Amino acid sequence: MARDKIYLEEIFPSPFMQLWQVFRKTPSAMAGLSCFIFLIILAVFAPILAPHSPIDGQLDMLLLPPAWHPDGNISYLLGTDELGRDMLSRLMYGTSLTFGLSFIVVITSLIIGVVIGSLSALTTGIKSSFLNHCLDVILSIPSLLLAIIIVAILGPGISNTVWAVVIVLIPQFIHITRYAVKEESRKDYVLASRLDGASPFRILYYSIFPNIVDRVMSQATLAQSAAILDIATLGFLGLGAQIPLPEWGATLANGLDLFYIAPWTVYLPGLAILFAVIVTNLVGEGIRHSLKLRKDK
Amino acid sequence: MLIFTLRRLSLFIFTMLVLTLLSFSLSFLFPGDSIINISGAINATPAQLIEIEKHYHTESNIFWQYITYLHNIVNGELGISMASQSDIATEVLNLLPATIELSLVALFIAMFVGIPLGFIAAIKHNKTTDNIIVSVSMLGYSIPVFWLGILAILTFSINLGWLPSAGQISLLFEIELITGIQFIDILLSDSPYKWQAFSDATAHIILPACVIAVAPATIFIRLARTSMIEVLETSYIRAANAKGLTFRQMIFRHAIRNALIQIIRHVGLQFANLVTIAMVTEVIFSWPGIGRWLIESIYQRDYTAIQSGLLVLSCFIFIVHILTDFIYAALNPLARGNKYGS
Repeated sequence: MARDKIYLEEIFPSPFMQLWQVFRKTPSAMAGLSCFIFLIILAVFAPILAPHSPIDGQLDMLLLPPAWHPDGNISYLLGTDELGRDMLSRLMYGTSLTFGLSFIVVITSLIIGVVIGSLSALTTGIKSSFLNHCLDVILSIPSLLLAIIIVAILGPGISNTVWAVVIVLIPQFIHITRYAVKEESRKDYVLASRLDGASPFRILYYSIFPNIVDRVMSQATLAQSAAILDIATLGFLGLGAQIPLPEWGATLANGLDLFYIAPWTVYLPGLAILFAVIVTNLVGEGIRHSLKLRKDK
Repeated sequence: MLIFTLRRLSLFIFTMLVLTLLSFSLSFLFPGDSIINISGAINATPAQLIEIEKHYHTESNIFWQYITYLHNIVNGELGISMASQSDIATEVLNLLPATIELSLVALFIAMFVGIPLGFIAAIKHNKTTDNIIVSVSMLGYSIPVFWLGILAILTFSINLGWLPSAGQISLLFEIELITGIQFIDILLSDSPYKWQAFSDATAHIILPACVIAVAPATIFIRLARTSMIEVLETSYIRAANAKGLTFRQMIFRHAIRNALIQIIRHVGLQFANLVTIAMVTEVIFSWPGIGRWLIESIYQRDYTAIQSGLLVLSCFIFIVHILTDFIYAALNPLARGNKYGS
């Protein structure tokens, strides 16, 4: 019989794997994660899955209530809006705009923020103090206000909204990376590899990054829920996605005039935003919970 | 404390410089002529334009232009609005108190609801009460504020008819503007219908303030819960327990005081968040504050107003931030040490 392991070797899982082992035992976090993956799949495959076009309206199907209503039509499951556009398809396409774009936004600002943050953690003295002060100033301005200002400079539109939210989220990532790298570099294992003669970048890449990835991820979930809310709010205020894009906030603002006649055009996009943010927060809570358990062990 | 004050003062001056520099550079970043962006004189004749250029020292280098800009700000000259051609400084002074009023009321509601709930959750840690409070708080900070505002208007103003849905006070009441803060103005006025006006203003503020308060309240719940859990694990609580104090005495005399200090520290940071939420809420409830004015200026491409609105709002937020830092340091001697801003 073949024996895979001849020697008894102790395996130390990487910090990320340790996190995952706790994470998958938390039911609420796993529920959140599966819904998160569902939303990502929906965002990517919305054009294939959606039953109707989000932009073309059916003029004989105006303001159709959802299918469970006596006047509803089963082929328009969640009803239609004032131009006869199918709400379900609009919401599905909206997933790729609100949720999908916020995901891309977070990844972009995460990469930029982590690079700048770890470089700045290596600097000391007046440069570092200057950066610290600047970060304090930027972090003291609320993210939505800053996003509104950037949109005011660039002009309304979905692509400008995306850039604005990317710029707004970068300082948070710089701050957290900088702080985490500084904290880790004081530890003994970093000293050991420094004594081995490793260059600062090697230490950063091989020793420090695997140990801070969980904290950055936890920040990323916070950033993602902020990004969803920011994109939706800008869309609602008419500064983000423009007509006829089915962005959730813009769809909600669009339904506002007909709120009393067709309440579902306001309820449904709001519920979609709420669902996306709750799912993101559940994943974030799960990560923070596992981080705390690991620290206590 | 002196060194702490000096440190904060240097941070304050530095921040003000960065903020003014930012708003100064905005006039070059916005589309159009920078001199018109900064002054707002959109209908100026060529002769007036030369006069304005002289006033803003456009012929000298950029550094002197910035100094002139700072000088103008200190003198309270923020230019005129491109859309309405009225003086921005007076407009801001009329609008800012309404925002301060709304956000302070919301902050107090958030604190009075959030902090006790957080303490209860911490005392019942890992029990059903705790779980319920934590789940509700998660729902609270996930909810988009504009949606919540609309639902609140639908439920309380239209279906139930309890509270008014828009504005600061009913137009029937004529209140003279003295301090700008509505409640103080009403109390100062000598109108015979003072108390009717007061109750009307209260009815108007309840709904928007509650909508704004939801998200910060849930954050206060979490902050209060974590700091209380930390405090309850400390040795002085165990000592108090060993002394034979009742649970009630232990919580009220020892635990709450120490837990509160940690929360005060975060009030400043939360306030920034609250003001942003207030901006969106002002739009929904037609509250005559600076947030709604700023968003309307964006629709109208009123660059002079955007520039000054940003400056005033962020200064306001930063001043509150520094004030809470001072209160925290005054209450907690440990915080006066050698540390950077939170």
